[in-house]
Amino acid sequence: MINKLKQKLLSDFNDIQVNIPEDNRMIVNTKKESLLSLLSYLKNMGFNHFAMLSCVDWIDENEFELIYILSAYPENDEQYQDIEKKNIILKTRISREKAKFITIIDIFENAEPYEREIHEMFGIHFEGHPRLTPLMLERDYKIPPFRKDFDTNKYVENTFGKVPSIKERKEGKK
Amino acid sequence: MRELELYFGPQHLGMVGNFSITLQVEGDRIIKAEANPGYLHRGFEKLMEQRTWIQNFPLVCRINVVEPDHMELIYSMSVEKLAGIEVPEKGKYIRSIFCEMARVASHLFGAWAYANMLGFDTVANWAMYHRDLLLDMFEELTGARVYHIYLRPGGVRRDFPAGFTDRLVKTLHKIGGKVPDYNATFFENRLFQKRAEGIGTVNREEAIRMGAVGHALKAIGMKHDIRKIEPYAAYDQVEFNIHTRTGGDAYSRLLTIRDEMIESVHLIFKLIDKMPKTGEVFTKTPNPFKWKIPAGEAYVRCESSRGELGLYMVSDGGTKPYRVHFNTPSFNNGLTVLEKALEGESISDVGNIMISLYVVAPEIDR
Repeated sequence: MINKLKQKLLSDFNDIQVNIPEDNRMIVNTKKESLLSLLSYLKNMGFNHFAMLSCVDWIDENEFELIYILSAYPENDEQYQDIEKKNIILKTRISREKAKFITIIDIFENAEPYEREIHEMFGIHFEGHPRLTPLMLERDYKIPPFRKDFDTNKYVENTFGKVPSIKERKEGKK
Repeated sequence: MRELELYFGPQHLGMVGNFSITLQVEGDRIIKAEANPGYLHRGFEKLMEQRTWIQNFPLVCRINVVEPDHMELIYSMSVEKLAGIEVPEKGKYIRSIFCEMARVASHLFGAWAYANMLGFDTVANWAMYHRDLLLDMFEELTGARVYHIYLRPGGVRRDFPAGFTDRLVKTLHKIGGKVPDYNATFFENRLFQKRAEGIGTVNREEAIRMGAVGHALKAIGMKHDIRKIEPYAAYDQVEFNIHTRTGGDAYSRLLTIRDEMIESVHLIFKLIDKMPKTGEVFTKTPNPFKWKIPAGEAYVRCESSRGELGLYMVSDGGTKPYRVHFNTPSFNNGLTVLEKALEGESISDVGNIMISLYVVAPEIDR
């Protein structure tokens, strides 16, 4: 079934690369322009469960990689189908300087908190998202904290001060 | 009537866990709800990028306080997939038994939270006591009560001690013997039924649109369970059922949780019967300080007691993960589905609906 799907995708979209690392996973690399149409195409094919949105910061290549993972809800309550076993992993890359992308909540409504989280942790702006307000963090960060150039240790030292070492404490430093 | 904004925060008696909801209310009806997570955000996914593959275990299990074992399981599964490690047959069975124990313990905790919030204090104390009996078994097996760090890439840390399975069966029989009492005082009690029936209903179309997982789906008759869909560990070796209801309300959700708990106990008995008596329980892995895992990516999923749990992991070929991202069931159920389910309900049912959706705040924040 997954090979058939691969053929179908390759014939309908021309700027994608598909590979199948194992039986139930399919990785589709696509340009950012065709991601939305690919998502709605797959949704119509039965992949109606948006499992997650993730982001990887490839700092050496100066790019962010957005990962959309889809699967299918069981349609038949009695018997499991082949399609439910599959996970489709859609990947696209955007530039790190202009960290902007389009929201997909018109296609998958539950992408909303995921996009909010990615916006907060990676600083990627999703155009058309109705509430890109902070989800979890309470302080302001110059660099969004999940980017690779954010140094956790340095941030902690600058914000909360340094704990003196045992030797320093013996010398009377508090 | 005048519209007011009500902050339903973590200090509220009806709230379980560190979580808050901002409610737009008119009188006692909720017009709009907005969930605010983040009280327990510890940045685990970032911290994991600075620790080696094995050092991450103490962080992984702390993501979900109530049932840390499925977090360990999924992390181990993903490292195994990236490194290409196979788990021995006996290790698979022990993993399944361990995870089902965790499921029962977690559901008992859920029953405690629900009963406690609605004022069924007797039932709450029973549930806590029975969970404690299971925690004793965990302590015997792993040395810890809550955060076990028992699973590891390649299998489990050690074999069951002599006579452990007999003691486990005895404990489960003790808990199972109390089920009629639980039913009479809680699950089939008219008082409880009146409180929970017809509350927080999510229909099929909404659930699919909102990306619901776990009991929110089982309560509307969908058999969405990763143990069946994509079997891992030893779940393909034994027969078991997925119990569903059709109501879609808080009461149906709680009944599916009860049925799943009973089914899990039977599943443990079946797994113990079928488990190989001898054999290795783990595959040897390299020195943890020098362990390099080949570059690549993996998406694995398992069925935690709250629903589909996923993990997306990227390795750049080094001694530490490049990116770890957990897709926890409460993230969907606690943010999108909860906001939808609260609309039009009464303020007094907020805690009721939230616990029936089985939301655990630390899992959302990570």
